[in-house]
Amino acid sequence: MPAALTIDGIGVDFSGVKAVDGVSMVIEEGELRVLLGANGAGKTTLMDLISGKTKSTQGQVFLYDTEITNWEEPAIARAGLGRKFQIPSVFKELTVRRNLEVASCHNPRVFANLGFGLPRAARRRLDEVLALTGLTAQAETIAGTLSHGETQWLELGLLIVQNPRVLLLDEPTAGMTAAETHRTAEIIKDLRGSHTILVVEHDMAFVREIAERITVMHLGQVLAEGDIASIESDARVRAAYLGSRGIG
Amino acid sequence: MDAKRRLDYATYAVFIALIMCAPLVLEEFWLNRIAKFLVYGMLGVAASLCWGYAGILNLGQGLFFGLGAYMMAMSLKLASPTSLQQGSDKPVPDFMLWNAEPGAPTDLCCINRGSFLWLPFQHQWFGVMMGLLVPVVVAAGLGWVMFRKRIAGVFVSIITLALVLLVRLVLIDAQPLTNGFNGLTDLGYLTIGGFEFDPYSAATYYLVASALSLSLILARMLVETRAGLILQAIRDDQNRVRYLGFDVPVYQIFFFAVSAAIGGIAGILYVVVADFASPTFLDLTFSITMVIWAAVGGRGSLLGACIGAILINTIEARVSETEGFLQAWRAIIGLIFVLVVLFLPRGLAGLANDAGEWLTGRLGGGRRRATAPRVASSE
Repeated sequence: MPAALTIDGIGVDFSGVKAVDGVSMVIEEGELRVLLGANGAGKTTLMDLISGKTKSTQGQVFLYDTEITNWEEPAIARAGLGRKFQIPSVFKELTVRRNLEVASCHNPRVFANLGFGLPRAARRRLDEVLALTGLTAQAETIAGTLSHGETQWLELGLLIVQNPRVLLLDEPTAGMTAAETHRTAEIIKDLRGSHTILVVEHDMAFVREIAERITVMHLGQVLAEGDIASIESDARVRAAYLGSRGIG
Repeated sequence: MDAKRRLDYATYAVFIALIMCAPLVLEEFWLNRIAKFLVYGMLGVAASLCWGYAGILNLGQGLFFGLGAYMMAMSLKLASPTSLQQGSDKPVPDFMLWNAEPGAPTDLCCINRGSFLWLPFQHQWFGVMMGLLVPVVVAAGLGWVMFRKRIAGVFVSIITLALVLLVRLVLIDAQPLTNGFNGLTDLGYLTIGGFEFDPYSAATYYLVASALSLSLILARMLVETRAGLILQAIRDDQNRVRYLGFDVPVYQIFFFAVSAAIGGIAGILYVVVADFASPTFLDLTFSITMVIWAAVGGRGSLLGACIGAILINTIEARVSETEGFLQAWRAIIGLIFVLVVLFLPRGLAGLANDAGEWLTGRLGGGRRRATAPRVASSE
């Protein structure tokens, strides 16, 4: 398996505060990696560094063989890295279908998009994603009126439609009911294998449902890495994050 | 095509048919007046495109209008009979002569230090082209600076507002070139292929009505393209669009420039219809008035904003014939604005839209109702 996402000693120095300090990890193609850590451990900052939102002051990021360290966000997205935000962001005044149509525009250039409609293949793909995210019935609904869970799925759909090689998901189940969380896990499991995924998550029930390998961060550094059993039994992880009672 | 959109296009067709038929019933004076209002309608379209679709609240749209107007007026000034009769075989604007230093040659090249800038405006096509190009270039340059720096929201409004005031000051200060406060008056006619556009003629009216129809149709087509869709996505959440791989500033600059182009053409046409250009075009109140037109008509609808502009001006023209109302007009328009913002955030177009939705729901029965937006909400 080739490495889909290689992070090599990445770090950022916010005038003295090192929110992320020399984090390295290799995520293989098709892997689903869960990133765990207490508040302030640097999980979201790490995602910011990978996706280009924050410029790193040390280290490198590779998407397959391409170094994408400190590229502009759209360039990183075009290279094949999609990111979902913690606070769901969709286009509130457009319908669900129109939201997905935006993401379906293959060519990012303004003059290339002065035409109408999408090619047949893109429309078919859009319908597939509607089905996958369970939003087919809501296709003509204005996105601003969706429920919280549906909004999260729609944003996930925006990414899936673009078929990125690597997906970064920042707390995809935040604020969801148990049923919604379960549904989200189903969507993510559907993507497993065909996409490489890095998920930040707090919800342990969800983590148990989807996790293969887990990386635990603490104070901007990688504390431990392994499968769920070895993480649960790791004494340092218990001390730093989970408390003596164990996970969940 | 669904029923709602068909109704939408039908409204455009009816509107265009109406303005095209107006000369059949209107006398000269009102024809000229309505032509002016149609020009304002174009400004409404530009404001809606910029504010409603791109989410950029431009408080300095008068800049593009004014630039277009002055470029055209410079050409028409040189075509005026008085400019041609200043004792030279080449045209010289009268105000330049009045203010010329003793002994200065009566020639555009050197009557004062900057007058050579007027030379190419002897060709009317140059004036027209500059009237379009200058606003577009200024908008693109301004957009480049603002949108690359990710300036958004109220800061864009402040910058555009400051810029229109700055240019207004410069314009007034450059008195030898622009006739300062007085503006450019006593203009000749726009002449295309030997045909003269008399401001009070039906031909001029049709020129303006066609330009408005065209800009309405083109702007509507533009927002229906994929680029237009991406633009609306940028309005809703530009960060999301950025992370989907699109170069957000390029889209913003493009549509800002298109909006400026419509503003510039409106400026050109206004000069043709009204026969003057003045620094009042760059007054703050005028730019803000445009925003009110768009808000009242409905900024989310190109046609709505256009009708808003025409409607408000028609009412204003009617009202100002009564002396008592003349003074109260500003208060009335302010009150209308406040009421619309509070109770009709989508403007008259939103009201019409709801009515249309209700109507198509009625006509189509239960079959349609299930697919009407908002009704199908999952909550």
